[in-house]
Amino acid sequence: MAEKKIHIKNVAKSFGGRTVVNIADLTLGTHGIEGLIGPNGAGKTTLMNLITHRLKMDHGQVVYYPNGEELDITSRSMDEIARLGIVKTNQIIQDFESLSITDSLLLSLSTTKYEQFYRIFSEGRLRDETKEQIAAYLDYFRFTDPNGHALSAGEKKLLDIIRCLALKPKFLLMDEPTAGLPEDQTIKVMDLMKRKTKEEGMSILIVEHDLDLIWNVSELVYFMAEGEILIQGTPEEIRKDRTVAVKYMGVSYV
Amino acid sequence: MVQFLSGYVMYTFSSIVVYIALATLLHLQFGVTGIVNFGVVGFFGLGMYAFGVFLIQYHIPYIIAMLLATVLTGVVALGLGRVILQLDSQSILVATLAIATVVEDLATSEKWLTKGVIGLGTVPFPFDLGPYSQVAYFLLALVLTILIVIYAYRVESSPYGRLLLSIRDNEPLAQSLGKSTSRQKLFFFAITSALMGLFGTLHASNVHFLVPRMVSPGVTFTVWIALILGGRKKVLGGLIGTLATIGLFDFVIETFVPIPASAQSQLMPVIKLWIYGLALMLVLMYRPSGILGEKKL
Repeated sequence: MAEKKIHIKNVAKSFGGRTVVNIADLTLGTHGIEGLIGPNGAGKTTLMNLITHRLKMDHGQVVYYPNGEELDITSRSMDEIARLGIVKTNQIIQDFESLSITDSLLLSLSTTKYEQFYRIFSEGRLRDETKEQIAAYLDYFRFTDPNGHALSAGEKKLLDIIRCLALKPKFLLMDEPTAGLPEDQTIKVMDLMKRKTKEEGMSILIVEHDLDLIWNVSELVYFMAEGEILIQGTPEEIRKDRTVAVKYMGVSYV
Repeated sequence: MVQFLSGYVMYTFSSIVVYIALATLLHLQFGVTGIVNFGVVGFFGLGMYAFGVFLIQYHIPYIIAMLLATVLTGVVALGLGRVILQLDSQSILVATLAIATVVEDLATSEKWLTKGVIGLGTVPFPFDLGPYSQVAYFLLALVLTILIVIYAYRVESSPYGRLLLSIRDNEPLAQSLGKSTSRQKLFFFAITSALMGLFGTLHASNVHFLVPRMVSPGVTFTVWIALILGGRKKVLGGLIGTLATIGLFDFVIETFVPIPASAQSQLMPVIKLWIYGLALMLVLMYRPSGILGEKKL
């Protein structure tokens, strides 16, 4: 059991008067891989967006424990939070139209040090520094045209995940990673994720509708409905839970 | 020889070089970073007038006046950018157009400072080399423009350029990867706008007498047409586009095509606009990414 990574206190978010997320107290990251399930509209993606500050919360506090020490990230900007190590992959395919696969990875691996308007001669150094890492990613995940652009929707989804991994996050939020990803790639992604959590102490929170995957990879599962975390427990416990069966599986999981 | 190196030909060449720099800076702002700056002349004109005022009204030494005007333009761009750069493209377009109009209006109305439509002058050439003053000035403008083009070329294959492209393509995604996109965009906008101001100060030496007509929206339109014609995403798009528009008209046609004097002032500007418009339409229809851009699929 790992140290906790994120502590959410009394966080709420509503859109047009409808409360979408309302969480009194939630601790994330005590296990390597945690799953977050719940029916559509339960507020899972919104909760993730509140943690990464893509969305502004109405009130509440998010505390982050990067190396054991306490850090209030409630009012930090999205890019700051990402630099601190909390990164989210996207449910809907996102890409940079003009960046190739390598460019995308170079963008992730580059730091502010290189991204200054007068540093127009630092490309060679950045490429040297990141050569091995990029080769490792492109060797593990096969793209149709590794020197070109991500072609299919599946490749774009995969690239999105690799871009996030390249940032070496301490806490990775994955929003429906398998949606649009071919099965063999899903297996590869999940194998890599398990390794990262064991070897590098990374914590992962996965939102997913593919419940078999959730039961397989998560050590702890949260069940969310109507903006609240109703139950948390091991996959076994959640599977047998009556509330989950009624509110989720019986209704929207066929 | 000296005859050729001074006067009309040098004047035209210097103007073309300045326009190439403006179009290349617009390429960096719009083509690379996606900032729709429709007030090019605002920054260009601010630099030009600020320089003229510093030099003539306050007798500040030439080079210091130039630097001050450039910095002032950058500061104005920084202030404006802070307010508008996070808005959508249409708002940025309107706001930059508005700032350009403000500059033109102030140049006209603040007669105590700018001498209004009577004109502010005389701005001398930067170097007093007798008959070679003008050619020396031209070479200075040329060198600075070449530096801008080289910068644009280098930045394209640098980590910084990649960041700018990622902002143009998908700013929220870039931000989610830890890039402080709004700060970077603001800073880049301020620097490139300040450089537009620098070329404004240079242009002041070329025209000698500053009148508000010189900072009319026509400058912005010319630079935009040149960049779109040449290819907004290409480093040399601004250069090719400028040569194909002002280069062709203000130099090649006016110098080598015998046009009756009566048509020169009345008909030519109309024909010029007519052909610019036609060329723009043809390019947008058959080669939307410009002469240098890839063909329509």
